[in-house]
Amino acid sequence: MIEISPPSKKSEKNFTTRLESVDEFDRVETVGEMFVDRPKVSCLGVSVHYGDKQALFNINLDLGRNEVLALIGPSGCGKTTFLRCINRMNDTIEGCRVDGEIKIEGAEINHSDADVVSLRSKVGMVFQKPNPFPKSIFDNIAYGPRIHGLSGPKNELDDIVEAALKRAGLWEEVSDRLHTPATGLSGGQQQRLCIARAIAVNPEVILMDEPCSALDPIATARIEELIDDLREKFTIAIVTHSMHQAARVSQRTAYFHMGHLVEVGVTDQMFTNPRQRLTEDYITGRFG
Amino acid sequence: MTNPTSGHTVESFNEEMRREHRTVLQMGALVRHQIRNAAKTLRDEDSEAARKVIADDLEVNALDIQVAAHVEAILARRTPVASDLREVLTVAKIATDLERCGDEAGKLAKLTIHFFDSPGIAPNYQLLQEVSKVAGFVELMLQESLDAFDARNIDSACEVIRTAESLDGEFRSALRRLMTFVLEDARTIGQFVDVVLAIRALERIGGHAKNISGYVVYLVTGRDVRHEDLAAIERDLKITDSIS
Repeated sequence: MIEISPPSKKSEKNFTTRLESVDEFDRVETVGEMFVDRPKVSCLGVSVHYGDKQALFNINLDLGRNEVLALIGPSGCGKTTFLRCINRMNDTIEGCRVDGEIKIEGAEINHSDADVVSLRSKVGMVFQKPNPFPKSIFDNIAYGPRIHGLSGPKNELDDIVEAALKRAGLWEEVSDRLHTPATGLSGGQQQRLCIARAIAVNPEVILMDEPCSALDPIATARIEELIDDLREKFTIAIVTHSMHQAARVSQRTAYFHMGHLVEVGVTDQMFTNPRQRLTEDYITGRFG
Repeated sequence: MTNPTSGHTVESFNEEMRREHRTVLQMGALVRHQIRNAAKTLRDEDSEAARKVIADDLEVNALDIQVAAHVEAILARRTPVASDLREVLTVAKIATDLERCGDEAGKLAKLTIHFFDSPGIAPNYQLLQEVSKVAGFVELMLQESLDAFDARNIDSACEVIRTAESLDGEFRSALRRLMTFVLEDARTIGQFVDVVLAIRALERIGGHAKNISGYVVYLVTGRDVRHEDLAAIERDLKITDSIS
């Protein structure tokens, strides 16, 4: 039985106010369970600007332990921007400014002393399109442990590679061809390889940006199954355009709209009886 | 709440949702007609008309099957969520309850045939009057529950639930009145049993009207109130109102 961080009952900040239209953004704050007890990642008042354009407005949202949090919303709503704040990927974009607090286990990640390389080993990321390095399957997985100094002798590295591939459910399919090019794998296998690569450095959080959008239904099902298994050990945030994927894989869902976090809730409730009219209109296909 | 039968980007989804909503209302109108006609056959001593009521139940059954097939297709093809999902589930459940109401109307029609087609039975008309009275009462309840569904009106739905809770009392007082006839003339005992069964069938229709009203509360609020009494439902609705 996995113990996940429950929505915080103590926090008075988990409030409810109904929002009927986009015009009301200025006077209404997020509805629902944004905060959890003992969060793994805690975001408070996060705003992001790309030059003069504000992409995220004062986001308050926790990521719980052993929880899959789904981030949904129409294109351009800010869900990927939010995801990229958690491992400081936005640092690579010129003119991008991130304000507010983002803490992992209580430590501020944007602090001037914070080590970005170490942060990215703690917070792994899987992208929309599988992006294996043009190396062998083995070297794809071994790359991270090598640069982070996690590997000792050769047989220790072998163990790390085997464990990561097993955890990603890929070991049985590739164990006899570890030294062949990773680019020879199918799309679904490549994506699981990227997940194995992310978990090989023992992260605490895994960020997934539409990880199944380029995959067929069977490969998608395998990744979803994998996400459920990975939850035992990691905190996962997943951006998805598939409502049904969000409903299947996550325990909580956050709905973003035009840079605002409109509603956060327990997934079952979000997809059966959301509190906000905007959320309901989006998930039922009335706009997007 | 968002209107589940309109506003989707995909217009054909709107049309499918409207079609099922309409079909259930059409089915409801047909069932009410069946109840009214079944009660009328008793008053008119018309066993021919009673046979027609029984035959017409096939139309209700066909609509029930049609709704079930369409609901299955909508679930498979559209995978609805939130208010859309509640509308689809509500439509399916109402259709099932209406189909059972049709069956109960058929039982009433069979009573007419039993009384007026069997030689040697001279029905006691005062006994039959009770049946007509209860039939009118539950037909109205059914109509009000379907109106509440059409308007997504939880106040009206609660009103039907309130009426249904008093229906049990009505049934008992009808039973008491009928008992007096039996005590006066023990030969009416056979008819007494038949009439009690007919009133029981009508009482079940009232129960289905209550179910339908409960589905309306679920449709609008997302709360499953089938096994709650009215006081608990109204208390919950008040709490929900104060939160939103």
